[in-house]
Amino acid sequence: MTESTVPGRGEPRRLPRSGSLLVGQIQYQMILLARNPRALVTGLVIPPLLLAVELGRVQNMGGTAAGMTVLAPRVAGLLLFAAAAIALFTHASTLVVAREDGVLRRWRAAPLPPGVYFSAKIVATVLAADLGQVILVLASVSMARLHLTVHAVAAMLVIGTLGALAFAAVGTALTAFISTAQSAQPVLMLTYLPLVFLSGAFGPLQDLPHWLTRVITYLPAQPIADATSRALLQSGRTLIPEHDAAVLVGWLAVGLLASLRFFRWDPHRPAHARPAR
Amino acid sequence: MDTQAARRRGGQVSAATTTTTASTTSAISVRDLVKRFDGYTAVGGVSFDVPSGQVTALLGPNGAGKTTTIEILEGFQAPTSGTVSVLGVSPRKGGRHWRARIGLVLQATSLDDQLTVSEALGLYGRLYASPRTVGEILDAIDLKQEARTRIGALSGGQRRRLDLGIAIIGQPEILFLDEPTTGLDPEARRRLWSLIEKLTATGTTVLLTTHYLDEAQHLASRVVVLADGRVIADAPPGELRAMGGAPVIRYRLPANAPELPGALIQRMDLGTRQLTLPSTDVAADLAALITWARDQHVDLTGLEVGPPSLEDAYLFLTENAGRPTVGQMTGRSIQP
Repeated sequence: MTESTVPGRGEPRRLPRSGSLLVGQIQYQMILLARNPRALVTGLVIPPLLLAVELGRVQNMGGTAAGMTVLAPRVAGLLLFAAAAIALFTHASTLVVAREDGVLRRWRAAPLPPGVYFSAKIVATVLAADLGQVILVLASVSMARLHLTVHAVAAMLVIGTLGALAFAAVGTALTAFISTAQSAQPVLMLTYLPLVFLSGAFGPLQDLPHWLTRVITYLPAQPIADATSRALLQSGRTLIPEHDAAVLVGWLAVGLLASLRFFRWDPHRPAHARPAR
Repeated sequence: MDTQAARRRGGQVSAATTTTTASTTSAISVRDLVKRFDGYTAVGGVSFDVPSGQVTALLGPNGAGKTTTIEILEGFQAPTSGTVSVLGVSPRKGGRHWRARIGLVLQATSLDDQLTVSEALGLYGRLYASPRTVGEILDAIDLKQEARTRIGALSGGQRRRLDLGIAIIGQPEILFLDEPTTGLDPEARRRLWSLIEKLTATGTTVLLTTHYLDEAQHLASRVVVLADGRVIADAPPGELRAMGGAPVIRYRLPANAPELPGALIQRMDLGTRQLTLPSTDVAADLAALITWARDQHVDLTGLEVGPPSLEDAYLFLTENAGRPTVGQMTGRSIQP
C-alpha cells in the first residue's frame, strides 16, 4: 500500500492510500451487485428454486446415507451453477456493459490504480458467489436435511472461493472478445451453460467420447462440482483434491494473464464509425 | 457574466503573440501532433497552446480531429508523432498524481445508473487528497433535491450537471469539457455555463469542445478551429470574427413592411424576418437598401453593419478550408 503526494495548487497533498480506496471500491461494487436484478435472480434465487424442484424427485431420501449419495452431486451441481452465474456470467456481462457505457473509461481517467478497481470487482464477485453458496447450503440443510460437518463447510468455502476466482478471471479475459453489450448475454450464456452441463451438474452424462470426458476434467466447472460433492459426502481428507485445485489455479492464472494482455477499457469503436475522408 | 467574458476576451492577445511565452504560461501545449489510424490521418500536424486559467474552445466540423486531439490530451490515446504536454507532463506518462490534477466531462454521460447522486459524488470524492464536499458540489450543480435519486432516473441536463460535479470534485487545475451541453435545453445550458464561469473565476483552466458557436463565444477567451486535422484559426473570438470574411449588414424587417427585393429576400430568414447580408461593397448595398426603404416608407431602425458573427466566421473559415458546411459565407453586392 503506497501513499503519494500531489504537487499542484498550494501545498503538496497526500492522495488516499490504496487500502482505503479498495474498501470504498468493494462497497461500490457490492451496491451495484445488490441493485442488479439479474445477479440476484440468477445467482441467489434460481439455484434454491431448482433445488426445491430437485427435492420433489428425491423427497423421502433426505438424512439417509443413500439420500446423501443422491443429493450431494445435485447440490454440488447447483452450487457450481450459482458460482458460474455470478462469477462468470454476471461479472463478465457487467464489465462489458460498464465498458460500453464508458464507465470504465471514466475510472481509467480518475486517480484510481487499475489494480484497485479490478481487485475490488473480483472481491465483490467472490463475496456474492460465496453468499449464493451459503443461501443454497442453508436451503439444502433446511429442505433436504443435508448433514454438514465443519470440514465440509470449510472445504466448500475453499472450493467456492477458488472456483469463483477462476471464473472471474476467465470472465474478465472473455470480455475482450465481446464487442457490444447486446452480444454479452448470448456469448456468455453459450460459454457458461455448456460448461456447467458438461460438468454433470444436472445429472451424469452418458456415452460421451473418452477424449471429451478427459477434456472436461481440465475445464473449470467439473473440478468444482466434483470437489464439492466429495466434501458433502465427506469422502476426502483434504479440503480440495490436488487435481481439482491445480485445474482451478491454472484457469485463474490463464484468465489473469489473458486479461492483462487483452483487456480493453474503451468502448468498442467500429471502423465504419470513423469519418470518411 | 457577459461583462466578465468580455473582460477576459479584452485581455487577450492573438495566438501569434502568445507563442513565445507559451512554455511558461500554458497549461496545455501541443506541437506538431499527428495521429494516424490504419492509413487514415485523423490529426495531421496540429500545434496550439491553452493558457492557464482561461477557457479555450476547440471547434471544428465532424471529422476535424477534435475528439482525437482531446483524447490524446486526456491520455486515452498515444500520438503517432509530435509532442503533447498537459501540466508539464506527457499524458501517456501521467500517473495517478497527474490524473488527480485534471477533471473530465466525457462526450457521453458515463455513470452507473444504479448509484444515487450523492453515492456517486462520494465515491469519486474519496479518490482525491482534498476533495470538495458532497454538499458543496450538490449546491454548485443544483442537485440538492436529487441527492438520493438514482442516476438512471435523472434528466439529461441533470446527468450532465452531475458529470461536471464529478469532474470538479477533486478541485482540478484543468477541466476537459467534451461537448458538455449537447442535447440540453437552453435553460440547462445557461446553468451549466454559469457553473463553468464560476470555475474559471477561481483559476481553473478549461478546454472546451462544442458544436454551439454561441457557447464558445460566451465562454471562451480563445478559439482554436480545426478542419481536416489541421488548425485553420487560433485567436480570441473577436479576432476570429474579423477573419471571417466580409462585413455583414443586419436588419430585422418590421412586421407590416413590404417584401424585400429578390436579391435581398434570399438572404432573409423567413421565420424571424432577419436579413443577414455579407457584403463586399457596404456603401453600395446600404444605398440600395436605403433607396428601397425610402420608396416603400419602411423604418430602418435596427439596421446594423458589423463584422460577421462567430458562427459566420466559423462557417467561412471551415468552408475555405475545403470542408463542406451547412451555410454560405461569400460576400456579394445587392442587385435590387
